[in-house]
Amino acid sequence: MSSSVFSVLSKFVAEYRRSTPAKLKVVDAYLLYILLTGALQFFYCVLVGTFPFNSFLSGFISCVGAFVLGVCLRIQINPQNKSEFLSLSPERAFADFLFAHAILHLVVVNFIG
Amino acid sequence: MALRGLHCVVLLALALGAQALTPSHHLSPADLDRLKAFLNQPFTDLESAYYSIVGLSKLGIAVSDEHAACQFLKSQLDPSNIDSLFFASEASQALSGCQIPLSNETRDLLLAAVSEDSTMSQIHRSVSTLSSLGLPVASQEVVSALTTRITKEDNVLAIILALQTASRLSQQAELGGILEEIEDLAARLDDLGGIYLQFEEGLEATAHFVTAAYALSDHVDIEPPLKEDQVVQLVNSVFSKKSWDSLSEAFSVASAAAAFSGNRFHIPVVVTSQGPAAVSHRQPMLQLQVTDILSQPLPSISVQVESAHAVASKSVVLSQAPFTLRDGIFELNFMDSQPASGYYQFAVAVTGDSRLVANHVEMKVKVSTEVAINNMDLSVVDKDQSIGTKTTRVEYPSKAKTSFTADSHQNFAMSFQLVDVNTGVELTPHQTFVRLHNQKTGQEVVFVAEPDSKNVYKFELDTAERKSEFDSISGTYALYLIVGDATLENPILWNVADVVLKFLDEEIPSVIQPKNLYVPKPEIKHLFRDPEKKPPTVVSNTFTALVLSPLLLLFILWIKLGANISNFSFTPSCILFHLGHAAMLGLMYVYWTQLNMFQTLKYLAIIGSLTFLAGNRMLAQKAVKRIAAEQSSRLAKYRSLRLASK
Repeated sequence: MSSSVFSVLSKFVAEYRRSTPAKLKVVDAYLLYILLTGALQFFYCVLVGTFPFNSFLSGFISCVGAFVLGVCLRIQINPQNKSEFLSLSPERAFADFLFAHAILHLVVVNFIG
Repeated sequence: MALRGLHCVVLLALALGAQALTPSHHLSPADLDRLKAFLNQPFTDLESAYYSIVGLSKLGIAVSDEHAACQFLKSQLDPSNIDSLFFASEASQALSGCQIPLSNETRDLLLAAVSEDSTMSQIHRSVSTLSSLGLPVASQEVVSALTTRITKEDNVLAIILALQTASRLSQQAELGGILEEIEDLAARLDDLGGIYLQFEEGLEATAHFVTAAYALSDHVDIEPPLKEDQVVQLVNSVFSKKSWDSLSEAFSVASAAAAFSGNRFHIPVVVTSQGPAAVSHRQPMLQLQVTDILSQPLPSISVQVESAHAVASKSVVLSQAPFTLRDGIFELNFMDSQPASGYYQFAVAVTGDSRLVANHVEMKVKVSTEVAINNMDLSVVDKDQSIGTKTTRVEYPSKAKTSFTADSHQNFAMSFQLVDVNTGVELTPHQTFVRLHNQKTGQEVVFVAEPDSKNVYKFELDTAERKSEFDSISGTYALYLIVGDATLENPILWNVADVVLKFLDEEIPSVIQPKNLYVPKPEIKHLFRDPEKKPPTVVSNTFTALVLSPLLLLFILWIKLGANISNFSFTPSCILFHLGHAAMLGLMYVYWTQLNMFQTLKYLAIIGSLTFLAGNRMLAQKAVKRIAAEQSSRLAKYRSLRLASK
């Protein structure tokens, strides 16, 4: 059972390495970084309690928001999805990504206290 | 005396039943004297002379020097002024033998004033002057002028003047339209708490309304559309003020008082008791004064008690019993019905005149009596045996000859009966206390004696049980019996005996300090909220480093993937975009440390728009490059395919 899971995973990783364009891999690395940061923040909160609760929330929401926006960017610049985003150029997707981040950062810094 | 009367009236008002409203204010003889004295001021001008002379005549007395008053009127008169003519003529009517000189110009002036173009006040004054000088008035013209002015000057004071004017016109004129204004005006009155009814324009307007409404109603002999309660509420409003600010106010009150006591339809009745409403064997007569609101006796009336019932037991004691009139006071011997002591609710009715208003009055009468103490038995009982040792009987008001001793093994017991001296009925007064007073230390302890089922009062003092009240101080205590009640004429404070109490665990008797309630209390120190427990700095620093570590991982991954900035074109828009973006991120940091939202938004708008424009340019250039690259690669692929197929 575990061997089949392992073989599936290794196949998946190999396929990923082969067929994903470099641009998407860059975005994936960024997404992984965001994920790790968020997970570490959550772990810290679980460990020591929610004392400055607003700070914890703003940091965590920042990670979650950045992750979501990163996923949106990845979907929009994926050449395989080109048929669904005919009118949306990658540059436009990136511009949207930056604009949404500006608003996210504003809210997060407001809340961080 | 007046204050007591007023007190009774107020008590009356408070004790009234839910059915009928009775006047809570009226003019007592003292108030009347004050009003007359106020009106009897020396004249300063024609208007004040008018208020004084006519006001006093309405109250039934004349000015002190009528001749001098008449001379004053004649000297101050200005025949070309309608107001002056009005004051002089009305005042001269109230004086005897005073005639205002008349001329044709005067008459023409007055008649010309009766038109639709004059104000209501002018019409009223000219018509009143014409009528008091005995000159003919064209009533129908006046009525039409009044009706027009009412629609034009639709305020309360104008309509009241119209009513007054109409009451001076001939009875044959069409006064029905003006008569209806009484009802409209009554609807405009403000009801205050169900007790007062007055215009928002104030006391004078209300009093003038009363005078005018009754004057007109009497003139046309039609009852005014005012309900009994409304009449009483108007009485309350007009007579609630007992000192008046101006002559015109006093004049309006005097006119209203005359209207209330002399009109043909509603006469409010004021029923007050002479002194407190209480009877006893020494004073068995319940005395009532029944007057109109000027405190004048009402002719040919009879007063009777419709029903009197005890408040506690609701049993009817008296029904349909008449009062007898003696020297202007109505009396009833209530003790003839042999009531038990207590409070009784009386419903009194005044009859004899169909015009009487508020003639059903509810009042509370107290019947008091005297108490006697019978069978006062004192004894000291051993706790183990319930058989008493010898019982000593004490007669009021003497004191027991020997003192009683009780220590912790014994109880001191007392029993007595309270009876009504006159009827022998057992009483249960409100206050039956037993007070023990230690003469040496000044300490006193008070207990309550309770009656048992047979109305015999018993008191037992258990020395061991009660030692905390006595602070365990042994000694001689004087025993007092205190009996009191609102319906007792002779409250009792009787030193019955001396009791020597012996307690165990005695403390040195010290003079008892009164409890000091008024010393400063200990200061309360404010406790600030404890700051929350924070984790140790080491832990948080570690985690800060941990949280920043994925950034390192990111850079490593990116380098591994081959991400680079080799495609960085040094176009101005590109540089500007990156600078702007960096500035936005810097602004976020500054916002966190220093700024507030409004300042941040302002800066963000400026930097953001710059960045947006630069970025737009830059991305457009990139897009062009990309599309060109794609096209050239597609072209190359196509060419290679073609070569291959060839």
